[in-house]
Amino acid sequence: MVFSRLFFIYIFLPVCLLCYALARGTKHKNTVLIIFSLIFYAWGEPVYIFLMIATAVVNYVAALFIGKYQGRAGDTAATVTAVVYDLLMLGVFKYSGFIVENINALFSCSIPVPDIRLPIGISFYTFQTISYIIDCHWEKVKPQKNFKNFLLFLTLFPQLIAGPIVRYSKIEKEINDRTIQMSDVSYGLNRVALGLAKKVLLADQLSLIAESFLGNIGSSTMLGAWYGAIAYGMQIYFDFSGYSDIAIGLGRVFGFHFDENFDHPFMCKDITEFWQRWHISLGTFFRDYLLYIPIFGKRRKYGGLFLVWLCTGIWHGASWNYVIWGLYYGIFIFIELLIGKKKMKNIPVVIRHIYSKFIIIIGFAIFYFEDLGKLGTFFKTAFGFGKNGFIAVQDKISFINNIFLIAVAIICCFPLIRTIKDVTDKRFAAKATISSAAAVVSALLLVITSIILVDATTSPFLYYQF
Amino acid sequence: MSKNTKNTDAEKGKKSFAETNDRPEPAISIEASDRQGTSIDIPIKAKKLKKQQRKKAMNRISLANILLISAVFAGGFVYVTLLPHETKADDENRLLTKFPKFSIKSYTSGDYTDGIADYFDDTVHARADIKEFIADMLMPLKGMKYGGEKAELYGSGFEKPVTTTTAATTASVCTLTTIAVQQPTTTVAEPEEDKTADGELTNNILIVNKRGINLYGGAWGSEQEYASYLNAYKEALPNVNIYSMVLPTSSSFYLPEEYKNLAQSEKEDFDRIEASLGNVMSIDAYMALNAHKDEPIYSRTDHHWQPLGAYYAAQQFALTAGVPFPDISEYEKVTLPGYVGTLYMYTQSATLLNNPEDFVYYKPKTNVSVTQYDTHFSNPVAADLLLDPSQMPNSGYYMVFGGDERIVHVNTECKNGRTLVIFKDSYGNALLPMLTSSFENIYLCDIRYFDLNAADFIRNVQATDLLFSMCSFSAVGVNRHNIYNNLIK
Repeated sequence: MVFSRLFFIYIFLPVCLLCYALARGTKHKNTVLIIFSLIFYAWGEPVYIFLMIATAVVNYVAALFIGKYQGRAGDTAATVTAVVYDLLMLGVFKYSGFIVENINALFSCSIPVPDIRLPIGISFYTFQTISYIIDCHWEKVKPQKNFKNFLLFLTLFPQLIAGPIVRYSKIEKEINDRTIQMSDVSYGLNRVALGLAKKVLLADQLSLIAESFLGNIGSSTMLGAWYGAIAYGMQIYFDFSGYSDIAIGLGRVFGFHFDENFDHPFMCKDITEFWQRWHISLGTFFRDYLLYIPIFGKRRKYGGLFLVWLCTGIWHGASWNYVIWGLYYGIFIFIELLIGKKKMKNIPVVIRHIYSKFIIIIGFAIFYFEDLGKLGTFFKTAFGFGKNGFIAVQDKISFINNIFLIAVAIICCFPLIRTIKDVTDKRFAAKATISSAAAVVSALLLVITSIILVDATTSPFLYYQF
Repeated sequence: MSKNTKNTDAEKGKKSFAETNDRPEPAISIEASDRQGTSIDIPIKAKKLKKQQRKKAMNRISLANILLISAVFAGGFVYVTLLPHETKADDENRLLTKFPKFSIKSYTSGDYTDGIADYFDDTVHARADIKEFIADMLMPLKGMKYGGEKAELYGSGFEKPVTTTTAATTASVCTLTTIAVQQPTTTVAEPEEDKTADGELTNNILIVNKRGINLYGGAWGSEQEYASYLNAYKEALPNVNIYSMVLPTSSSFYLPEEYKNLAQSEKEDFDRIEASLGNVMSIDAYMALNAHKDEPIYSRTDHHWQPLGAYYAAQQFALTAGVPFPDISEYEKVTLPGYVGTLYMYTQSATLLNNPEDFVYYKPKTNVSVTQYDTHFSNPVAADLLLDPSQMPNSGYYMVFGGDERIVHVNTECKNGRTLVIFKDSYGNALLPMLTSSFENIYLCDIRYFDLNAADFIRNVQATDLLFSMCSFSAVGVNRHNIYNNLIK
């Protein structure tokens, strides 16, 4: 099920919230959440839900063994078994087609390419189970003895499909015992409205620009290519961070406090900082569980770094452009590491901003083009070697047609809400006014978003009859 | 003495303040010392009270916030579930999604659950009004129109995933057509393939001077294929006169100078087609239409031409074929005001919605007998040449000329012994009424919906003339393959 649908917003969610509100005590509330989470997942994956439940069982049992044999061989065996199982599932369901295609290409053989559909959210929930197992192994958390509670951790529908990757340690206590404040619920609901608005009002509209200019890269001009890539970058940001807003907001309504996943990434001054602000839960996952694996000996600082970026790339999709995309970022972070923090800081801020935005925009273009040939066309076009010149009338029309959208999108990349909050928190009257305004604005955003969603089922171009 | 007492009290006050609160505030102590004795406790209580009041106030705001959003949820729930569901969308010319039927297969494939969500999303009460509201609101919110011509550019429909809605869409079109024609048909149209598969066509639509223009993306070599397919027909049917009349779209005639670069030249592709045709006669519809471009020969809100355009093209064809052709005055002119066509559906542009046009069509005064067949040329049903468009106000073109998924036979009063087969796309439908005084028999077949061997069919109906007439997008887009496929079936 997708969040940005009327069916989710006005049927699934209200019914879920009502049942949750009526349930008394944490245990019953948890039961409600598990039932709705399973319905939520089964809605999109009526078959693969069993795969997710199997993953839950394997990891739950493995953690019990880890707890039982703490520090002994059984502990290690259970850890390895569970992690291998998780990675194997991810490998089979996400990468088998890609691997076979490349083997066929490399060795000129013709192994049949398995046609396996990617189960929704497998990349996210697999990483959650891996972090749980390793944390149990490292004795950072105690294995969850109650399967129902473990299932809740894994299937909690706000973050199930597109993150953030929630650590068990983060919500361990809240699973058993949580108090839900009125302010949590109102904050959460506002955050959900904000996330939906980011997705529907900004990301979906920006995607039309990106699709027109990057989708037709062969007929784009130099300026058009950059315009498309910038629109695409903002589209992905509002889409993904909007989803995280909804997840964090819903979590808060249910009494869970998830960590932030995005922190205004376009405010960064270098690439290292960008990745501290972009998809934070993924970055910290790799930092905590992969960067310091001692497989590179003395060179682990750099070896680990490239391993992390290779994995970051491939995690995003089974295609070479994602590998290139990950390593591309790895190279810039490596260079920044070589230059050193102090020297980086000595570079004028304006130059650092220009540098980082330039690298990031190109990064989004690499992310966009799964077809490497088209990626090549993009590079040619963007750097003045394209066949369509510098600017054309379609660039001007599109820009003027979307000028307010682009302006609002750019403004929304700045930490507006935080700034307003910082200023108004100091005076009660201002704080109360802003809180009241936030309620009204959220309700308005929700209504406007819903109106726009009525148009979402319009199917232009689907039967273009001549 | 009293001063001392005051001081002591003040000190006591300070102490007690320090005991109750880690952060003593001197301001309060001074105030207390000024007010003598008990005065000290009062501001502290006031502070606490204030804090509590503030907390209460914030809680009240939170509660109001929750109630407000909950009201939106509740209102939305009632709106989406309890209000009557819409069943058809006139502006999109389709029936809306129906509640899915349960089966194990549809459940395991995810179609059933998707279908339920689709149903609620697609059939929202007063959907058409909401969409009109969005059309009016969205463009001014996103930006401004460009230049003096007030240009709006609607991006491509590239890589749109073909979802279950697609099937519903196509099926619905068939259903609607069936209702209009009052003829049961067993043929179910295949969902349209993505026309951009070859990468040469764009679905970009420019709205300029209140006219929607589907920008022509160029043939890039596929025009040679089109020509070779027609040459193959000539080889198979050496005794039949074969004509090619590729029809230009409004992209050729109404792009202001500044916007010319947005589209490729249809004329150049037509010239290349003509150069590659063997014994197939080429008819220059471009020239014929260009001479009349100041008349309403193309629809402003629809991607089709207007019947008047078809009249001029048919005239050019009749001249080449050497058949009689009546003057336009010999037709009964019917005007449908307030027509908003397909381009509004594709763009949802308020400019098109708020500037409807007249759809004008021409009824031949001569008597004709019309028989419709299915795409296997069986199940004949008597029909009218033109249909009554009043049932579907927003799709005059389709409704006047009927759907494409059928073969139409027209027998006329013109007894010249000539039998014409037209292989066409939907543009070609408008040619039929214009040729009813020119041929004794006319068979109208759509290249996309034809389930026989074309050569056998042509021989079977003893055709003397064979006309390929379709718009440029069909001739050089993926539709062109149907021309050849029909020959080798």
